[in-house]
Amino acid sequence: MPNTLEVPAPTAWPLVLAFGTTLLFAGLVTNESLSVLGALLMIAGAVGWFRDVLPQEAHDVVPVRPELPAAVTSRRNVARIELAGELPRAWLPLETYPVSAGIRGGLAGAVAMAVLAMLYGLLSQRSVWYPINLLAAGFFPAAVTASTEQLAAFHLNAFLVAVLIHLLTSLLVGVLYGAMLPMLPRRPILLGGFIAPLMWSGLLYSALGIINPVLNARINWLWFVLSQVGFGVVAGIVVSRHERVRTWQRLPFAVRAGLEAPGLMHEHPEDRGE
Amino acid sequence: MTTASIPWMQSDVARRPLVERLHDWVTTVDHKRLGILYVVYALVLLVVAGIEAAIMRIQLMAPHNDFVSPQVFNRMFTMHGTTMIFFVAMPLVFGFANYLVPLMIGARDMAFPRLNAFSFWLTAFGGVLLHFSFLGGSGLYGAGTAPDVGWFAYAPLTAKTFSPGHSTDYWTLALLVSGFGSIGTAINILTTILCLRCPGMTLGRMPLFAWLSLTMAGLVILAVSPLSAAQMMLLVDRYLGGHFFDTQAGGSAVIWMHFFWVFGHPEVYVLVIPAFAVVSEIIPVFSRKPIFGYPVMVAATVCIGFISMSVWAHHMFTVGMSPAANGFFVLSTMAIAVPTGIKIFNWLATMWGGTIQFRTPMLFCTGFLFQFLIGGLTGVMLACAPFDWQLGGSYFLVAHFHYVIVGAILFALFGGFYYWFPKVSGRMCSETLGKLHFWLFLIGFHLTFDCMHVPGILGMPRRIYTYEPGRGWDAWNLWVTIGVVFQGLGTLVFVGNLVWSYFEGDRAGSDPWDAWTLEWSTESPPPVYNFAALPVVRSRRPLWDLKHPEDPDWKYEQ
Ligand code: HEM
Ligand SMILES: [Cu+2]
Repeated sequence: MPNTLEVPAPTAWPLVLAFGTTLLFAGLVTNESLSVLGALLMIAGAVGWFRDVLPQEAHDVVPVRPELPAAVTSRRNVARIELAGELPRAWLPLETYPVSAGIRGGLAGAVAMAVLAMLYGLLSQRSVWYPINLLAAGFFPAAVTASTEQLAAFHLNAFLVAVLIHLLTSLLVGVLYGAMLPMLPRRPILLGGFIAPLMWSGLLYSALGIINPVLNARINWLWFVLSQVGFGVVAGIVVSRHERVRTWQRLPFAVRAGLEAPGLMHEHPEDRGE
Repeated sequence: MTTASIPWMQSDVARRPLVERLHDWVTTVDHKRLGILYVVYALVLLVVAGIEAAIMRIQLMAPHNDFVSPQVFNRMFTMHGTTMIFFVAMPLVFGFANYLVPLMIGARDMAFPRLNAFSFWLTAFGGVLLHFSFLGGSGLYGAGTAPDVGWFAYAPLTAKTFSPGHSTDYWTLALLVSGFGSIGTAINILTTILCLRCPGMTLGRMPLFAWLSLTMAGLVILAVSPLSAAQMMLLVDRYLGGHFFDTQAGGSAVIWMHFFWVFGHPEVYVLVIPAFAVVSEIIPVFSRKPIFGYPVMVAATVCIGFISMSVWAHHMFTVGMSPAANGFFVLSTMAIAVPTGIKIFNWLATMWGGTIQFRTPMLFCTGFLFQFLIGGLTGVMLACAPFDWQLGGSYFLVAHFHYVIVGAILFALFGGFYYWFPKVSGRMCSETLGKLHFWLFLIGFHLTFDCMHVPGILGMPRRIYTYEPGRGWDAWNLWVTIGVVFQGLGTLVFVGNLVWSYFEGDRAGSDPWDAWTLEWSTESPPPVYNFAALPVVRSRRPLWDLKHPEDPDWKYEQ
């Protein structure tokens, strides 16, 4: 530790400069001579200040006192938050897949579904564009009167719209799926492959006439359900590849809220796997 | 005056003569002394502005009162508002930041020590110039030529036609001078925090106080500059025949409002963010728990800083802006409630489950939490333009902003006084007097400002100097004034406590609260150089690490 330290030397010039500035302004409400005095003081203050710092900053050397004894506390024991012990009720399930698994599954399912739908287009109309145009038809009023040939041809606008719809709905279904996973955490394929597609198809069956009349008129429900199941099975497989995580219900609210406090954090390196 | 009575470094054995000690104070460039100067200066003006408030309240205590003339009443509310904002609240905030920031980030001084002195003296002389206006013209009891245009000095009231003589010039010039000082201090705080942190003090490990001071300083630079610009334009109008704001000659009064509130709204956050800063240091220490959600607190503060720049026109709903503009400012104002709410929840979560000790600092912070919540809620009400059309010009508005400025900001700063007094003076404040202060002030505050909402809703406009009996306002106004008496008593107890404790208080030692930030690692009061050897920091709670070597914080962070 050093015996002395340098600190900036005290100086009156900033005060003089400030006083001069104030007088300069005050002259406007009193008498011009005050402004003149203020300006003079400002010049003096500025010059004095410059000479304080140029060519070298003026400083004082102060003696350093011996350092303090080390910091101590009277609280040698860390106060810890009291948590309720084991809860008397069962919280099930103990483990589930993370929601992100549902989203990944939804995206993978989207690919499978697109392949199946395009296969249907090839087999029934010899055109992969047919199902795509049908999907987008709700956005193009002209499609109501379009012929089958027109619906089988490639239309850029329809293609872009269809891709967007397909991606958005797949993601949405993926998220819903992720949220429903705790209901059937051990059988994601059952949930994704059959239960969800059936529910989804039923929902669409009742509403499709309003959303997209063209598709409603030309739809082949067998293929439709098939591609839904394709979606669900692939999604289920992707999900089941994910590791399950422990559910949080059994944890006390304090821990779930992310409180940082003694008693709630891992306190020893070995608890944290170090 | 009072400055002379604050001894410095008591360990200096031989007391030097008074003149020499005074000389030391006026030439000082030490951030700690300048911090104290700011605070003492603010306390003196708090008493002055408090007396002005009391005069107004005596006048309004009963209908048809004629304690002061209408003209003096106008001068009182102008001087009261202007003084409180610019020469009490701002210097308090700057004083706290000046004193504490370098200590908290482990620095030996501010980045520009001489600029620091210059800025303080500009602020101080600005206030003197403003009060000098009492001596002109019609004499002291007629309040001289003190300004009478409101703290926001709306055009065209400030035009030569409506404000002959120099009263308005006093307002403009004084605030211009002190405005330069504020900008200087803000630049200094900003640079100090960005450039002078001790080894290991990353931005992510700074005490929240430092983070919030950084945000505050940024806001000062962005907000005070437009005000200074507008004031120069007003000077041009008044002295050189310009007509920026002269509606008769094609100027615009609304432009003044825009300029003023582009400053005025961020300004209220300049004041409240340091109050947040104080609370964020005190609540964890007295709850014995680290602050809940540190990164979120930082993010919310910076967010508040940004949003506060885009809400100014909620003070102008009644001037007739377009519905689109009104809509925008309604929404942006409401948006600011979101990060603010986050902060409140985080303070509560910090207290929750903690071992809370209700010492005086903590009492004031608890008061802060409740009162800030209520003030924020009436703010959200006023942010609904149609509601504001009804009550924006009434006592309800006055109640709203005093709830935040007194109930939140002043309460937090009082807490800060009790918390850091041992550091600054080396002595503990009296707990008994502190609690007495708290309860007197709490009762007075609620009597005054809770009651003030009601006549507002019943239609009592702001800035009237008297009123007719029988409108249902009389009793409420009496209560409001009685509350002022309690607040005055509380303030007396406070000042008495500071003085008494300074001479008679128990010795504090370096770390009386068993706290965690760096300022408590050095002596009380700290030596000129702050730290003999610059500290090295490894976590957000460096003193915890020193006190608990077997279980330090840095093992858990990141
Ligand atoms: C942060 C602490 C706050 C302070 C210090 C504060 C201070 C003030 C002040 C001084 C005024 C009156 C201006 C005048 O003299 O005309 C005011 C008005 C207003 N405040 Fe606040 N306020 C705060 C928080 C809020 C919040 C959180 C909101 C809304 C979310 C809000 C909304 C309003 C509105 C809408 C007005 C304008 C009413 C009018 O002029 O008609 N305030 N506030
Ligand atoms: Cu505002």
